[in-house]
This record gives sequence, structure tokens and C-alpha cells, in this order.
Amino acid sequence: MPDFTLISAPPLAGYNSSFGDIKLSAPKDLAIVSIALPLGGEDAAKAAITSAFGIDLPDTVGTSSPTKDGATSLMRLGADQAFVVFTSATPDAERQIAAKLNGTAYTTDQTDAWCSLEISGPGARRALERICPIDLHPDAFAVGALARTVMEHMGAIIARTGDDSFLLLSASSSAKSFLHAVELSARNVI
Amino acid sequence: MSQINRITGGLVDRSRTMNFTFNGKSMQGYAGDTLASALLANGQVLVGRSFKYHRPRGILTDGSEEPNALVELRSGAAQEPNTRATVTELFDGLTAASQNHRGSLENDFMAITDLASPFLSAGFYYKTFMWPAAFWEKIYEPIIRKSAGLGRLSMQEDPDTYDKGFLHCDLLVIGAGPAGLSAALAAARSGARVILADEDFAPGGRLNSETYAVDGMSGTDWAAQAVAELTSMDNVRLMTRTTVYGAYDHGIYGALERCTDHLPGAGGKPRQVLWRIYSKRAVLAAGATERPIAFGNNDRPGIMLASAVRTYVNRFGVAPGKRVAVLTNNDDGWRTAHDLVAKGIAVTAVIDTRNGPAPLEVAGARHIRGAGVVDTAGRRALSRITLTDGQMIDTDCLAVSGGWNPAVHLTCHQQGRPVWNEQISAFVPGNILPAGMVVAGAANGALSLGAALAAGRDAANAQLSDLGFTAPDTAAPTAEDEGFSCEPKWHIPSGKKRAWVDFQNDVTVKDIRLSHREGFKSVEHLKRYTTTGMATDQGKTSNMSALAIMSECTGKSIPETGTTIFRPPYTPVPIGALAGRSRGKDFRPYRLTPSHEWATRHGATFVEVGNWLRAQWFVKGNENGWRDSVDREVLNTRNSVGICDVTTLGKIDIQGKDAAEFLNKVYANAFAKLAVGRVRYGIMLREDGICYDDGTTARMSENHFVMTTTTANAVLVFRRMEFARQCLFPDMDVHLISTTDAWAQFAVAGPNARKLLSKIVDADSQDMSNEAFPFMACGEVTVCGGTPGRLFRISFSGELAYEIAVPARYGNSLIEALMKAGEEFGACPYGTEALGVMRIEKGHAAGNELDGRTTAHMLGMGGMVSKKKDSIGKVLSQRPDMNRDDAERLVGFRPVDRSQKLIAGSHFLTKGDEATMANDQGWMTSVAWSPSLNHSVGLGFIKSGHTRMGEIVRAVSPVHNTEMDVEIVSAHFIDPEGERLRA
Repeated sequence: MPDFTLISAPPLAGYNSSFGDIKLSAPKDLAIVSIALPLGGEDAAKAAITSAFGIDLPDTVGTSSPTKDGATSLMRLGADQAFVVFTSATPDAERQIAAKLNGTAYTTDQTDAWCSLEISGPGARRALERICPIDLHPDAFAVGALARTVMEHMGAIIARTGDDSFLLLSASSSAKSFLHAVELSARNVI
Repeated sequence: MSQINRITGGLVDRSRTMNFTFNGKSMQGYAGDTLASALLANGQVLVGRSFKYHRPRGILTDGSEEPNALVELRSGAAQEPNTRATVTELFDGLTAASQNHRGSLENDFMAITDLASPFLSAGFYYKTFMWPAAFWEKIYEPIIRKSAGLGRLSMQEDPDTYDKGFLHCDLLVIGAGPAGLSAALAAARSGARVILADEDFAPGGRLNSETYAVDGMSGTDWAAQAVAELTSMDNVRLMTRTTVYGAYDHGIYGALERCTDHLPGAGGKPRQVLWRIYSKRAVLAAGATERPIAFGNNDRPGIMLASAVRTYVNRFGVAPGKRVAVLTNNDDGWRTAHDLVAKGIAVTAVIDTRNGPAPLEVAGARHIRGAGVVDTAGRRALSRITLTDGQMIDTDCLAVSGGWNPAVHLTCHQQGRPVWNEQISAFVPGNILPAGMVVAGAANGALSLGAALAAGRDAANAQLSDLGFTAPDTAAPTAEDEGFSCEPKWHIPSGKKRAWVDFQNDVTVKDIRLSHREGFKSVEHLKRYTTTGMATDQGKTSNMSALAIMSECTGKSIPETGTTIFRPPYTPVPIGALAGRSRGKDFRPYRLTPSHEWATRHGATFVEVGNWLRAQWFVKGNENGWRDSVDREVLNTRNSVGICDVTTLGKIDIQGKDAAEFLNKVYANAFAKLAVGRVRYGIMLREDGICYDDGTTARMSENHFVMTTTTANAVLVFRRMEFARQCLFPDMDVHLISTTDAWAQFAVAGPNARKLLSKIVDADSQDMSNEAFPFMACGEVTVCGGTPGRLFRISFSGELAYEIAVPARYGNSLIEALMKAGEEFGACPYGTEALGVMRIEKGHAAGNELDGRTTAHMLGMGGMVSKKKDSIGKVLSQRPDMNRDDAERLVGFRPVDRSQKLIAGSHFLTKGDEATMANDQGWMTSVAWSPSLNHSVGLGFIKSGHTRMGEIVRAVSPVHNTEMDVEIVSAHFIDPEGERLRA
């Protein structure tokens, strides 16, 4: 038995709130692992991704695809960069993905680098208008679309996960400011 | 006696009475009134006092161009000065007060300044208050500010909140008058995403003020029908109470939406929202502004623009007078008389400055042609006018029409200049427009209703076909194309009577002539010398007349005279709205370390570092002041062990087959041969060879490195490396991602650091002995029974020290475990102050030393810039002047009198030299009280410092008015051989 054990306490753990027709919550145990495609080794890496997850890495930067069971999303963030987003309570997310890819791509654990919020409901877009410079009209930003952007001076990733729902990621160190920004937006539009 | 001037008709809702007060007097109006229309309905013609001469003033206009009817709206902290009554929507419980008078509005003591007007001509202040110069700030300015000026601020914190936001559309239509509604309908029916914005609360523009028919129905009904259709469509966002105030780059427009200004209270919601509208295309349908004609005493309450008179009569059901006279230079004025008669209001005379036949017959009115008005009478309101031929007419309202100025403002925000249109004697938009904008309707000089409706539709269709939409084959709405004929008349010679041009800033025709006589002839000089157009109305009713009068003086044509430049905002935007929600604690985001809550509970005082809040020191027991805490933390660390949260240092994960080679490029010193499991200190140079950041990089595996940067430069270093990777070395297989926030990292320093960490790091994951894990070692470990972690043996303090990292979610738990494990050694947490003291004692450079001017040579690290390889900044770091023998070098300093405290920022002088720039030898960068040595220690740069050990120089700070003798010593005050950190 070790003398000490460490307790996990992510910044927004357990957050769940409603503002009129807007729901705001922090997804539980969201794990994020970044994948970098090696220069010259892109095809091998993509093939490994396809066999590991059962779906292709999205070709278009700014899109995301869910696996068939819906448990994992592959987010294409750049020419050589993608995020694998899934659920894992243990601090070994990177190892899990690295094991699946078998050395064909570089992986970095990003789970603790980000805080995440899911905003949903008919009023979600109305709230996001107050902080998100991206055009979120379904014609411009369909389900599966994602973008890197800035909200209230904080770098952020926004992904449309449903007709009325969005996943927001921002730096975990400023999680309180980010939550405040999103909460205030919801409060201001209800 | 309530609403004595209310007549039938209009768009007000008579079933909803609104109570309000003006100067404490209770009045009533209806929903749909503006404050101006309600005041007129109650017979309140006198509304305020003028800026400079305290002249009685009334309501001139019916819109946002109003220069006169400015009030202080609401009370207490919410009081807002200079609010235009003409655009203030009436609400129940509204309170308004007139501005700029001492004593009552009716008997303003300051009206005495009007008698002094012969002395207060243009340039008065410039000429009068020139001497003595010292008097300006203390004496003249306060007096002038007190006697001139308009509304007062509440001097309390703004109780309202504001917000900002972003909108996107295919087509932005600015203005919901006939042209705008026609454009929006065409665009909306094609399926495009449309935003239609209008500053009024009732869309329709002039349709609501006139009596014209559209498509066989009243214009008002047609507007309501159009609005109903637009409102029902998902692809349309109709934004009323929204002013598009600026046209910016790439089709981006700024707009201010007044969300709750029409309500008694904001109900906790933002009062106003400042929108950035990203449009693919825009149709500007901002309409036109009627202009007055200048004549003797033309500022008396009761003298209004003719279009405003029509608005009050037709839209608001208010008679601005009982016996109205009209002064016009165009056909529109006759329309005013016609509308008044139709409402049963007596029109005494229509005075046309032109000589032609009357365009309309106005029953009961005298038709006077080829004449004008030269004077007016009436103490607080108009009672009589005097015509050019001397005859006098009794009247309580004079409707003036001098023609129309298209609202070209937004067309000029991207360097566009308007062009002169002889036909309507006005400036119209030029050829250079903001990208994606077309102009339609009156804003483009198409002053008839039929033309505006057609132009709106055509403009929208042209814009949408550009975007690939197909316009539905719907006919344009039809309306009569009423004639508009105008003969310019800017002012009527009125002898010695003052004729006002700019009402808000009290500028007269005479002032403009004086400006010309005194050589201020260009419009830009005219504006600044006379202050024409510089009030909050930005000269919407005055600029045109002023430059026309100047062109008469110079003998040049109006287009030759030109206009001043229109800049955003179109109408005033509150500073609160520009700030939005960035207020108080949330002015900017703040970043917290994983141990923040723990630190708060343990007496930490925090300091902002970038956006981070870092513990500066921890108060323990009854320590008296920060020095007590810092001294204790330093000694505790040097004697046993201390723990510091260093999470804020930038962390960059670097992977790839070429990662090592890439590091060789971005660091000045060599990294390619760094062994796996080892850390190296490195310095980074800018392209110009100046040292801009330092830090350590650990090689975790063959192709995997973890870089540490300074806290302040974390983003900068990442950005520069990303640039280098993508643009300078695209052939390298190297990938970067920030992990600053991913890991909670703590420095554990002091002779007992190893013993403490041996209780935390799982024994089976790492042998902690000095042999197995020496100075500058690194490795993946597990801590506290299996949690993954990283361990680095690096030292900023100069002690035996480690940095231990765990996933950030365990950070708070880890500091508790470290403190618990350290109890037996008396471990203490230390903050950035103790960190700073220890690094100064150790002679480590930090931000104070890396100030953007220092080279590796100055830092004593010239040898680190590897000659064997190329790296960013290497070539330019070899410039001879950056490697001079007498360059300032980083060394240590101590006071000769050990009881003295060194002062950072002091400059060094050789003993006996005068304190001049020429004798400057260098400067002190960092100082600290060393509790280890019991005296003050400092770091600094001094010429050839490394060769001058033991020399005594003077440290002089003219800012602090101090001077002391200091000795040049090694920068390494503690453990110069580095035995402790290798222990």
C-alpha cells in the first residue's frame, strides 16, 4: 500500500446547469489524445487509424467523425493533426491510443490540457452568438463540423455534435473564466 | 391639460398610456411615442439650453440627427447625458431632465453668456486663453468646462451590463425604409440569409411619416405587411433599435442594438449589445437627412425641419403648432403644408425661396415666393417671423426644408469620398465603396418613393445573383414617383442677426465667415476652428451648410471645397457597449494552477503573471509583512526543503524523426546529441541575434522531447517554433503541441528534496539515487501508487532540486501529498518571490535580464552559441558590435555598506564621474534581500563586468534620488561551484 494516493479533480467535473432552453454540462471523463501524422508516413498512419477505429480519419480539416458505436470521435484539426476524443476515467488515455496505432503516428495526451463543456438546446446557438465568431448556421456549420477559434480571448475548439448541441473545448487552466463566459452568454439570452 | 397638442391618427397606441416626467413635471404619452413626440403632445416646446450661449432650444428633427433636444435620461447611477429625445422611445415611468442651465430651464442664469456673444466668436478660446500658459490647466479649463458643455455624468459606476456578439449573413440591409424593406423582401424570397437592421423601433422609415400609397395601400400598411412577411421567414433576422454604425474591412459591420433602453429597467439583461456583423454583401439604404436653412434667430424653439413636422403629425398624431408657417427651397416643403392642412392644422404661409409657381395649392395659406425669413421672435418659443420684405407673420411653428442630404456616411468608412450631385444639390456616394456594398434609395440620391422601392429591389437582386442566388420573379412594389425639385439655399442674409448653422456647437454663419477671413479656409480647418460638426451629432444637419457657406466665401464650387471625412460611429456608441462584458474580475480571462485552491487555503498572496495567478508568498503564523514570509521560505528551502508550483512554465511536446535536428535549429546551443533521459538548458535567439527566451528541454525518448519555456514567453516560443516548423523547415518530420495545461508541475528543492520525493515516487518506477538519477536527468515515473508522472532533476534555486509533474487533474492532490510527505522535514511551500530571491542568489538570468536587448555574449553565454551548426539568430549574433569586449556583461553586485538596499534600475557610474548618459556604464536588473547572506544582492549589466571583479562603482538612481557604492562580484552568490545541485 502506498502512503499516499492521488485523487482526480478536473476543473469542471460534475458541472451541470440549465438556463431556460439551454443546457450546459461538463462531459464526464472526456479523454483527448492528439495524433500527429509523421511526414512521409501519413498513409501508414491513416491506415492504422482506420483499422484501429473502424472509420477513416476525416479528410477535411475542420470536420469530425464518430466511430460506429459513437463512443469515439476523430477530429481533424490540421494537415498533420487530429484529436481522438473518447471516454476514459484512467490517466492512460495516450497509452491506449498509442497501443492501437502501433507506432505509426505520434501521440500526446491532451486530456488535462482542455476543459470541455457541452451546450445544447434550442437556445444554444443564440447563446454562442455572444462569444463565438464562427458562423454556426447549419448551412455553414453542419453536424460534424468543428473549428478552432477564440472566445472571450480564450483559444477554443467548437464542434457541432447535433442539430442543437455543441462541444466546446478550451484551456483547462482558464476553465473558470471559460465557464463564466459561456454561462453568462446563456444567461444573457434567456 | 394633458396632451394639448395630440391630434387624431398616427401609429401610437392610445390604449396604452405612459406616464413620464420632464424636469419633475408629470406628463403623459402613448406607447409608440418618442420622448420628443410626447413632449410636443404636452406642449413642451422648450427642451434645453444650447452649448455655448445657453440659448433656449426645442426639437429640430425626428431622428438620430437631432442637435438640440438632448436630455439627461433616467436618474441616479443610470442617468445618461446627451440623450436625443427624438430617438428615445417613451416608456412608463421615464424621467428626463433638460441640460446645461443654472436655475430653471425657463430662467437660465447662464443665458447671460448670450449677451457676451460678440466676444465669443470662433476661435475665442484659442485667442483668449493663450497666456499665461500655466493658467490653462488649473484655471481656464475648469471654468470653461463648468460653463460650457451639455449633460452631466452621474459620476457613479454604470449599473447596466453590456454584451457583444457576432452575426453572419449573405446580405445585410442597412435601414428598413422603403428601399431597405424592398431590398430585404427580394433577398429573403430568394432564400438568402438576410439581416435587416434599423435604428428606429418601428421599421418603415419615412413610410411611417408620409401619406404616400404603395401597391394600392397606405405606405404604413405596406411597411407593416412587409415586416410581417420578413418576420415569418427563418432566413431573416429583423433587428430594430439597431444602428449599423461603421463599415469595416471585408464586409464586417459594427452595429449597436439597444435591447432594453425602451424599458423601465434592464431586468438583469444586457442593456445594449455591440454586434459584429459578417456580411457577404450589403445594401445601404440609410435614407437621407433633411437640412435646415440658416437665417436670423433660426434656433428658436418651434422652428423645426419640415420632414419632422410631417412625422409628428402623421406618425405620432401630434401637432407641433397651431398656426404653422413653412419655409422651403424645394417641393417637399409644400408637401408638409398639404399634410398639415389635411390634419386640420392651420398653415399661415408657405414661403418658398424660389420664384417658380406653387407646386401645390395649400388651402388657407398665403403663398409667398422668392422670399425668405430673416428674423424670428418669441422669448422661449416662436411667436412671429419676419420676412425678407419686412412683413411679419404670427406663427408658433416654422417648418423649414433646405433639401435633403443622402446618408452617405457608411460609404466613406473605407476611404470613399462622396461626389456632388447638381440635381439634388447634395453629395451622393462616390465610386469607391466598402467591399460588397451597394447603395439604394435616398442614400444614393434617389429621393422619390417609387425610385427608392425599385432601387432597393434591384440592388438586392444584383447582390444576390453575385452570390449565386436566383431572384424570384416578383415585381417591385409600385408607388407614385413624386417630383422633387430643389434650388439650393443655404442661408438667407439676415443683417446683424445671428444665423445658426451648427445648433449643437452654437456655430453661426458669421463664425464661418470669420474662419475664412482668418485663413482657416479648408473644410478640415473650418471644422476644427469653428467646431462645426464636432458635437455628438457629428454635424448631420450642419456640415453641408457650413461647407456651402465656406464655398461662397472662397468663390469655389462646393465639390471643389469638398467634405470632411466621415468616420465611425454613425451615431454615438456608449463606452460601456464598447467594453461589453469585459469588466471587473472578468475583464480578461485568468488562469489558475492546479494547486490554486490549496494555496488560497494556505495563506497565499497571488500575483498576475501573464494571465496566470501565481502564489507570491505564503503567510505563516503572525508574520509581519511579505519579507518575513519570503525570508523564511528561502531559508527553509536552502536548509531543508521547499515546494513551488511551477505549472505556469510553458511546456511543449515535440515529436518526430527530425525533432532533435529541429531543436538544434531553434536553440543556439547544441541539442542533437542530448542523451535519452537527460535534460539540457538552452537559449533561443531572435533572428536578429538577441536572446529572447531560455529554458530546458528533456529527451524522453529518441524522437520525443519535452521543452520548458518561461511563463511569459510560452505562447511566443510556441508560435515562433510553429512558424519555423511550417515555413522554415517544412521538410522536417517534427510536430508540436502545447502541454502547458496538461501537467501540474512542482519544484521540490533543498537538501531534503530527494528524501521527500522518495516517499512520493514509486520505488519500482525510478531509482532515486544520485548515481541512477543525477543532476539533469529526466524520466517517466509513477507516483503515489501508479499515477503516471514525469520527473526532472533541474534546479532554478541552486539547491538539490527536482521538478515533478502529474496530469493536471491530480495537481491539487499531489501538493497535499508532497506537503504531508514533507512534514517530517519541515517542508514549506514557496512562492514566486522566494523563487526570485533564490535565482538571484544563484545568478540565474530571468525576464529582468532577457529584456529584448541582451545578447548571449552579455549574459556570459556567448560560448553557448554553437559554431558547429546553424541556428536561428546565429548569423546576426556574430555582428561585431554585439561581441565587443567592452559590452555590458552580467555580473553580481553587493553594497559596500552591507546595510544598504540595492535598487533595481540604478545605473552604474565610475567613481568620480558625473551622472550623465555619456558616462553610463550599465544598469542593475534584479535585486533581492538575501536572507542567506544577510545583505542585499543584485544582478546587472556593466561594461566588461567579468574583468572588473572587486571594483567599486556607484549605483545611481535619479528616479529614486539614491546613490550608493557597490562592489562588482560574481553573479553566483550561493554555491558557485554547483555542489549542492549535484549532491
